[in-house]
Amino acid sequence: MQKLGDFKLPHFFNYPPYFTLQPVRDTREKQVQVWKELILDYCRTQKIFVIGLEEDFPLFSNPVIERSLSHEAREAFISALVSEAGRAEWLGKGHRKCLILWHRIQDWADIILRFVKDNGLEDSVITVEEMRSGVECRGTELHGIDRAILMRALRLLEQKGKLAIFKGTSADDEGVKFSM
Amino acid sequence: MRRRPGIGGLQNAAAARDQYRMLGENVAKIRTDMMKEQLATFRSQLEEFARKHKNDIRKNPAFRSQFHEMCAKVGVDPLASNKGFWAELLGIGDFYYELGVQIVDICLATRPHNGGLINLQELCNLLRQRRKSDREAVSEDDCLRAISKLKVMGSGFEVISVGKKKLVRSVPTELNKDHNEILELAQAQGFVTVDEVERRLSWTSGRAIDALDTLLDEGLAMIDDGHKDGRRRYWFPCVSSISTSVADT
Repeated sequence: MQKLGDFKLPHFFNYPPYFTLQPVRDTREKQVQVWKELILDYCRTQKIFVIGLEEDFPLFSNPVIERSLSHEAREAFISALVSEAGRAEWLGKGHRKCLILWHRIQDWADIILRFVKDNGLEDSVITVEEMRSGVECRGTELHGIDRAILMRALRLLEQKGKLAIFKGTSADDEGVKFSM
Repeated sequence: MRRRPGIGGLQNAAAARDQYRMLGENVAKIRTDMMKEQLATFRSQLEEFARKHKNDIRKNPAFRSQFHEMCAKVGVDPLASNKGFWAELLGIGDFYYELGVQIVDICLATRPHNGGLINLQELCNLLRQRRKSDREAVSEDDCLRAISKLKVMGSGFEVISVGKKKLVRSVPTELNKDHNEILELAQAQGFVTVDEVERRLSWTSGRAIDALDTLLDEGLAMIDDGHKDGRRRYWFPCVSSISTSVADT
């Protein structure tokens, strides 16, 4: 079986027609389904948060069978993820980059809450940057999380009154005050 | 002898007819009895045989297949019912019911990929993978037998021959001769192109495209526009081994 790093690729990845958008509706639905699963799976295991449609993404081509996905196909698969509630979100209107949410925003929010409890931060202040690269987050899923996703999850918690986000001295140094 | 008219003549004739009939019945009865006896002997010997070779029948697919053949010749169907001597002795009924259920399962699981048409050989491989805990081997013959039992349910399971291969169909699609020929052609590489179909089968382009379109619509084919020669390829998951792999993911 073919592998990408330590990721086991599914067998359809070696079957050329899966790289061409299928014209027949039923067949296409199944095709989109397996691609959606593959993209989510791959991003989850490789901790990838953003896919650029125009960039080299390992899943978009298979040199072994000399096939690659057309732009149309890439957009179709990613769009299918976007329309599946909460699995992906376009970044900007051009549909060039996409956030891949292998954890939904709500799930990320729950992970943050757990992180706060585990570290006794219920009434403390922490910077956004610390949450994704500080000592406390080592070994948790928050380590290395995409900033955009982290902010979306924090905003969700802010709406629920669990915390307040405030600006620090510089633009990319926002802080979070928990009140739980 | 001149036939004489009158009551006496009619009675004579009737009496003779009766006697012939009785004689005939006697002969027939003796013959049936004899045949019944022979059959009974044969049956008891077959049963004796089955009892003696029970383990071989259960464990060895080749032996099992020959045993079935033998049974068929004497008109005994060990699969006809799950009750009774045969099933109790061999548990053979259960074996095929189980296979049947597993076959339906596999056909359903692989249908998204192959459109409901699967290579018998692959089906068999998948069946073995699924049953790997089970030491009793499964042959293609067993698969065919189980499928023939499935037909009773009217679920549209059927085995069709395409070229040298046997395919198992689990959807009610009717394949005509043109479709079969394309499937046969595709067995070589797993795919065909319109050009190839026209050339190899000496068809007009319309005929080729028509047949390929139908196969596409039925979900039995997938197109591939990614080859660098620019020619569209029509792939048939039911003849490529890829479906084996898709099903176990």
